[in-house]
Amino acid sequence: MSHFKMNRRKLLTTATSAGGLALASGMIGTPLIAQTRSLRVASYGGYFENSFKDHVFPAFTAATGIEVESVTQPNSADWLVTMQQATAAGSVPTDLSLYARDTMIKASRLGDLIAPLDMDAIPDAANLDGYFIFEDGTGPIGVGALSWVSAMVINPDEVTAPESWAEFWDSSVYESSLGMSKNFNSQLLDIIAATFFDGEETFATDEGIVALIEKAAELKPNVALWWTAESQMEQSMKNGDVIGGQYYHDVAQLMAADGFAIRSIFPKEGNPQDYGSWCLSSLSEKSEEAAEFINFTSQPSTQALMSRMIGTAPLVDVSVTDLTEEEFGSVSGSPVIRPAYEAYLDKETFIKESWDRMLAGA
Amino acid sequence: MTAVDNAKAPLATPAPRARWPLGSLAMALVVGFLCVTPFILVIVISFGQKIEGAGWEWAFTFANYQRFFVGALWPDEVTFLHLQRLYYALYYAVLASVLAVLTAFPFTYLLTRLSRRAQSIWLVFILASLSLSEVFIVMGWDVLLSNRSGLPMLFEVSGATDWLKRTGWFEVLREWGLANPRNVKFKTSEFATILTMSYLVWPYAVILLYPALSRLDPSLTEAARTMGAGPARVMTSVILPTVKLSLIGATLLLFVFLLGSYVTVVVFAEPAKQTTAVAVYESVRGSTLDAPFGAAQAVILLVTAAGFLAIAQWLTKRSEAR
Repeated sequence: MSHFKMNRRKLLTTATSAGGLALASGMIGTPLIAQTRSLRVASYGGYFENSFKDHVFPAFTAATGIEVESVTQPNSADWLVTMQQATAAGSVPTDLSLYARDTMIKASRLGDLIAPLDMDAIPDAANLDGYFIFEDGTGPIGVGALSWVSAMVINPDEVTAPESWAEFWDSSVYESSLGMSKNFNSQLLDIIAATFFDGEETFATDEGIVALIEKAAELKPNVALWWTAESQMEQSMKNGDVIGGQYYHDVAQLMAADGFAIRSIFPKEGNPQDYGSWCLSSLSEKSEEAAEFINFTSQPSTQALMSRMIGTAPLVDVSVTDLTEEEFGSVSGSPVIRPAYEAYLDKETFIKESWDRMLAGA
Repeated sequence: MTAVDNAKAPLATPAPRARWPLGSLAMALVVGFLCVTPFILVIVISFGQKIEGAGWEWAFTFANYQRFFVGALWPDEVTFLHLQRLYYALYYAVLASVLAVLTAFPFTYLLTRLSRRAQSIWLVFILASLSLSEVFIVMGWDVLLSNRSGLPMLFEVSGATDWLKRTGWFEVLREWGLANPRNVKFKTSEFATILTMSYLVWPYAVILLYPALSRLDPSLTEAARTMGAGPARVMTSVILPTVKLSLIGATLLLFVFLLGSYVTVVVFAEPAKQTTAVAVYESVRGSTLDAPFGAAQAVILLVTAAGFLAIAQWLTKRSEAR
């Protein structure tokens, strides 16, 4: 989830305060000229936001002349609360926000928070799969920006690479040895649906969901760590407290490059892919500038730039970018599992409570 | 919060020579406002209504409280999940506070027998350790209990793991959840949770017990000794009765303090054994944005703590009356 993504970004940065300093000095250094076109863009803080400020925003300003003011957003879910309160108060801190798909749908259901986009002004969105352009009753409200994969990871010194997620259920190999994410919507259920059931369809009925959760319960004896913060899983893999589990593909690649015993694998069922979308605040007066920015990030060259500089997976087909096979491999892979976002929201309380009961054995 | 409430009382009553009656009234109002408003807000929110797939709205429903006792799916299904979390909150807090007081008691007793100078060095050291935050302490124990950098490593290198495997104790540890097929493991476990919690409050225990033990009149114990009582007898019939109230008071204070532990539980307790405090945070800040249910759980935790304090107060009064 984006929430944990944020934590990781925070960890990866050498000092978040350095980012704040940079922001402050940036603002002092560039006094706003009245006629300059500008746009406020929010992104997850730390390393992530700094990469945006160092590489993506300057390229956008160079291409369009629009100045970007970077706004720090902690993650998706918390930011939604902030934006909800700010909208009610009549003044929002940003024009564009970066929401994970479930938060975006939630914002759409809360209503009056996101303005529909003028897709005619965003022709390059045609590069993206239609799935990444989200429409609700009011029109298209979110265009995909970047994505990340939470992958199967193992310690190659301890076990051989599994071909399927199903191998994690084998207690003779993995007893008390796995690290899985503790959140009900962090995609273990999607993995189970893809591995043992009919994929996303399984979420359609309560019985299907119960069956998924029962299958997850069978994994419990093999899980040594149900992590909530990404750093827990990182430490546990490094320390050998766990020898496999679920973790972010790009960070796993970084850890492996640093010499730690970790390998990120795409088993035959694939790995869950989540993504963030640009959404325009309903109170923003910068819809034209926002459309230009979204158009810019939808271009294959910008997608490739973000993959190289931020480590996110491109949302356009890799063949239209100039990413090498190796570069693409370090940020993504195939096949990918698409999470059952709608079900997680429609049956929120039911899934959360059933999942918590499964974990608690209650 | 009881400490705050108690502190508020003397402020509210006018000082003997009140030169600024309006000033103290204003002060009482500000303190009252700061103390009371957050509580009222939490209580009001706890009656709010969750909207599936979105946020929540102001309402007046008991659904959140009902969910705490029988689960969200009642009456189709009943679950005691949330009661179980409250049970674990109480369980950890009781064991850890008792453990801390039990181990701090002999230490503090011996401390009060030392020279003045040695006592102050120890006390300064203990006071300084209070500045360590929960996060820092948990991090330390996390490293100490880790497979490659802590105790399990020591077990393996010293041959203790092999010895355990030869003698069959290893299988017992696996059953207790303290080992995986390769080595012993202490994370996640009740052992690590309770250990860290009592470590966390141990300095408080010493500081809470110190005044009572240092005031203990040495002539009492000396008199008992001259009358022929052995050290054990002196302990049970002279020292313990004198400091009984302090022991109970310290345990209670630490217990209430530990009820709300968050970091320790998140890091060291498996999800099946996590507590209400963790669930409150997950409800309010997690992806469900279910602030009303979080607030309801917080209110129940508060009422539980208040209940325990009231019982303790009553027991103390009763023993004093005798």
